[in-house]
This record gives sequence, C-alpha cells and structure tokens, in this order.
Amino acid sequence: MIQQVIAIIILLFFVVKLGREWKKKSISLNEFIFWLVFWLIGVLIIAFIKPIDQIVMNLGFSSSGINLVFYLAVLFLFYLIFRMRIRMVKLEKDITDLSRKITLK
Amino acid sequence: MKVFCVIPAYYEEKNIAKVIQKVLDYVDFLVVIDDGSKDQTYNEAIKIKSEKLKVLKHPINLGQGASLQTGNEYAIQQGADIIIHFDADGQFLAEEIKKVVNPIIEEKADIVFGSRFLEIKSDIPRFKKNIIMPMAKIFNYVFFGIKTSDPQSGFRAMKAEIAKKIKIENNRMAHCTEILAKAHKHKLKIKEVPITVLYEEFGQKFSGGLKIIKDLIFKKISN
Repeated sequence: MIQQVIAIIILLFFVVKLGREWKKKSISLNEFIFWLVFWLIGVLIIAFIKPIDQIVMNLGFSSSGINLVFYLAVLFLFYLIFRMRIRMVKLEKDITDLSRKITLK
Repeated sequence: MKVFCVIPAYYEEKNIAKVIQKVLDYVDFLVVIDDGSKDQTYNEAIKIKSEKLKVLKHPINLGQGASLQTGNEYAIQQGADIIIHFDADGQFLAEEIKKVVNPIIEEKADIVFGSRFLEIKSDIPRFKKNIIMPMAKIFNYVFFGIKTSDPQSGFRAMKAEIAKKIKIENNRMAHCTEILAKAHKHKLKIKEVPITVLYEEFGQKFSGGLKIIKDLIFKKISN
C-alpha cells in the first residue's frame, strides 16, 4: 500500500512538471496530452495493481502485474529510442542538404 | 575529357597545401571541401592560387561522405566528365591518378577503385590487414553481395554520369561500402587497380569499423 502511494506521488510529480512545461509553452498541445495520458495510465495501473494482477494471471502469465508493466515499459522505451533515432537521421539529412546548399551557393 | 578531383579535408592544415600542389599536375580541376575544420585548413588551401582550384567550406562538420557528395555535385555543375576521389592526408600518390582514370578513358570501366591489396606495395598495419579488412570484406559480401579486394579504399574515379546515379547518403565513413553497393546495384563496369598507400599512422580503427556497420544498418532501416 505504502509503495503504491509513493509511486503515485512520484507520477503526480511528473504530471505537475508536465503542466509547468505546458504553461511555459515549451511543449505542444499534442505532446502535453500524450504525456498526460501516459502518466495518468501509470497512476491507474498502480492504483488498481491487484485487479491487474488477477487479469494477468487469468491471461496465463506466471509473473505479477507489476512485472508485466515493467516489460511493457521497456518495450515502449525501445520503441521511443527507435523513433528518436529515425527522427535524428532525418534531421541529419536536412542539415546536410541545407549545409550543402549554402556551400554550393 | 574534363577530369575533376574532389578532396575532402578535415583538420588537414599541415598536409592540404602539399597535396593540392601535387594533385593539380594530374587533373583539369580540383575541388577541395573543408568539412568545417576549425584550424587553418581552409586558409592554407586558398593560399594556393590556381585557376584549376576551387576551395569550398561546409559551415559545420558533416563527414567525409557528405564532403564527397558536395564535391561531386560541384563537379557535375561545372561539367566534369570524370570525378576522382582523393584523400587530403597525403596517403595516396598523385602520380597514380592516371592509373585510376585510364580504365574510364579507355572505356574499360564506369567506376574504378584503387586497391591496396592487389599488389603488396603498401605497408599496411598488420591488425588492419589481417583483422579489420577481412571482416569488412565478409560484411560487404554477406550484406551487400560485394566481392572486392579493398572494401574501404578512398581512392576512386567514376564517370560524372555515374556520380549522378550514385548519390552518397552516408555522411561518414560508411560511404565506401555505399558507393560499392550502389555500383553493383546499377550493374556498372567496375575495375580495381593497385595503388600505393603511405601509412603514417594507424588510420581506421576497429571501433571505426563498428561505427561504419552501425551507420549502414541505421541507414538501411531509416530508408
């Protein structure tokens, strides 16, 4: 129970930070909504970890709900890294094209 | 036939003037691309007064592959017939330019690669010769179906029309494999000629080889 409370406080801290970034206009509305939903899902998962454990067991997994959440989180992080890498490659290409244009002008 | 030479240079203030002067005797036009060096590379290059020389400078460092592509595009704009790629560090011999260009002039090849391994003239470091190069050869063969005696040679010549087809997209050192792969893909007449390389220091390290593999994989994924 106490761990759940601590985890939710930490997640709420991220939500507050997110709200500040949104207020400073350093992130777009889409980005704000995405991360807000993301952290709120996290809060819901932690708040209802027992029923999730039950669902996970019913699905035939041997591990507990929190472990499954970790596995999914790691997968999600890998996906984000992959997306960022693709974006970086595109940015690098744009910078190269621009620099070349300036050089050949 | 207008023979252009492209020399990418990055932090080469000590060598660039010597290399330019040697190469100018063997080509119709020389393009030097300073790849955003913060030293005197650009100033040393522009000190040489010649109508056959153009010195360009990237506003930021992009990598050797990107510099070669910039040079190719400049050469094509200026009406080049043959484009040579040459290094700025003085490793290659300018007098061997003829040897690399001749198969194209004689219509025996569309693209010619200088090879350090066809004749045992170059004093190649053992680790590079026995470990790095065989691994690079295997990688090129397995992933790109390329058989070549020297997978990482930076001394090459190609018809300008071929340079239009082979757009170098790998900014950094993976361009060597990329050019080879595209030459095979376009079913070009490829020839290798023996060249001499003067090794003053070790050159491409093992970590550099791994970086090339990483660049090639990510380029493949992101395309």
